[in-house]
Amino acid sequence: MAMTCDRVRELAPGFVLGALDIEEMIAVQDHLDGCAETHPEMDELGGVVPYIAQSLTPVEPPAWLRESVIAAAKADSLARRRVGKGAEHRIPAHAPAAAAAATVAATAVVTPEASFAPEPATGLELAPVIPLRSRIWARRGRIATWATRAAAALLVVSLGSYAYVVQNDLKNAQHQAPPWVNVIGPETRQAPLAPTNAASKAGGLAVLQQTGHLYVAVNHLDATAGDQVYMVWVTAETGDVSRVGSFTIDSSGWAQVEFDRVPTSPNLWLFICLEPNGGVTRPTGPIILSGTLSA
Amino acid sequence: MEVPPQMAVPESLSEDQSEAELMRQVAAGEIGGLEALYDRYHAMAYALALRITTETGLAEDVVQDSFLGVWRNAGRYAEARGTVRSWLLAIVRHRAIDAMRRQRASVALGDESEEVLPANLTLPDIWPEVAGRLDGERVRAAIQTLPPAQRDAIELAYFDGLTQREIAARTGAPLGTVKSRMRLGLVSLREQLIGQYEEVMPSGLPANGKRRMA
Repeated sequence: MAMTCDRVRELAPGFVLGALDIEEMIAVQDHLDGCAETHPEMDELGGVVPYIAQSLTPVEPPAWLRESVIAAAKADSLARRRVGKGAEHRIPAHAPAAAAAATVAATAVVTPEASFAPEPATGLELAPVIPLRSRIWARRGRIATWATRAAAALLVVSLGSYAYVVQNDLKNAQHQAPPWVNVIGPETRQAPLAPTNAASKAGGLAVLQQTGHLYVAVNHLDATAGDQVYMVWVTAETGDVSRVGSFTIDSSGWAQVEFDRVPTSPNLWLFICLEPNGGVTRPTGPIILSGTLSA
Repeated sequence: MEVPPQMAVPESLSEDQSEAELMRQVAAGEIGGLEALYDRYHAMAYALALRITTETGLAEDVVQDSFLGVWRNAGRYAEARGTVRSWLLAIVRHRAIDAMRRQRASVALGDESEEVLPANLTLPDIWPEVAGRLDGERVRAAIQTLPPAQRDAIELAYFDGLTQREIAARTGAPLGTVKSRMRLGLVSLREQLIGQYEEVMPSGLPANGKRRMA
């Protein structure tokens, strides 16, 4: 939709407030991008807009939010570094504008102010958790699970030291049925989960199917207490963090869980945090285990 | 709900310069820069998120998401295009409205099926010095001078994220009337802000704060 300068001037108030229909917003912006004339009305009207928010009385958020923000930023940086091991030449952390622009995915609200800082799409994706807890515990008597055997296969292939803990489980699993072959295949991605704390014996394995179905098996984790949960998160190359789901651990230190509709982006960094409760929407607790699901 | 004291705003150009330095720290990945930025603007960011979402949990998510957005994109902050506060609040507003729209549409946060934001929709903060001189009271006073219909049109667009067409449908006013109210309201608000500024700074407006209006 080509626009004349007069039409753009007419639409300026709606444009600076982001109150035009999307087609008009885009058409006005296209015009401004290519117009040889100046459009001072945009600055003059648009300059008012930031002050509308300033009419609000500041409100103090909960004190914990500060810690949460900082923890999320730290986790974001860490995720970028981890994922960046395979992709750092493509998307460096805190990339310069041109590179960062390439990572812009999508936004839902088209407002001029918002575009002042185009950003990657918001990162919170809630992958529905398959309610498997009862199933998990019902199956706990089976020492040999897909996970331990899958880990064994991985160990045989190349991933030995990462899955040290799972390897121990393998010794007890030799006589069990081999269901892992149904999980790991040429179209799955696997990640041994290594502890952040080198002194920890914790370990595990994650297997992601192309369908977005994720299997996670962990061992030697500290038991959760009260509302505590272990929360599984994944981070894509863009740095967007998605919450996958949570699980609890009893005194055995062992669990096997499955989740559905997990993002399947290349080079996903999966990490498990110990969180105070299952309601967190961003990583706040310490990272216990992590691994990279490389494409 | 606890209402804290008025949030500190930059008091001078040198303060703005220190903000630029703060942003450079954030862009360099220095967590201390983000902490300082949060300490400076969290209350205003939360107030805006809460005003738009009207829900504490969602507002907390929005604030966290927004500061994380700043953390990731600080390198793209252009000092010449406005103050850090305006930049941050624009992000907060954007994310809050986005969250509300997604919630209304029963779409999970993070869904990326929406339209792509056109590039370079930039809006300068034309009076960075004015921003440093006008406290919330003065801005509130300026807004209160607007006729209610004009104020409503602006606030429905700014805080509720409604388009002119949606505002017309909600208020029952013809679309052309909504457009007129929005224009008159913005022009009037600008004049009011300039008037407030001249009270504080009789020496005159910044060079780019001319009264000229299209």
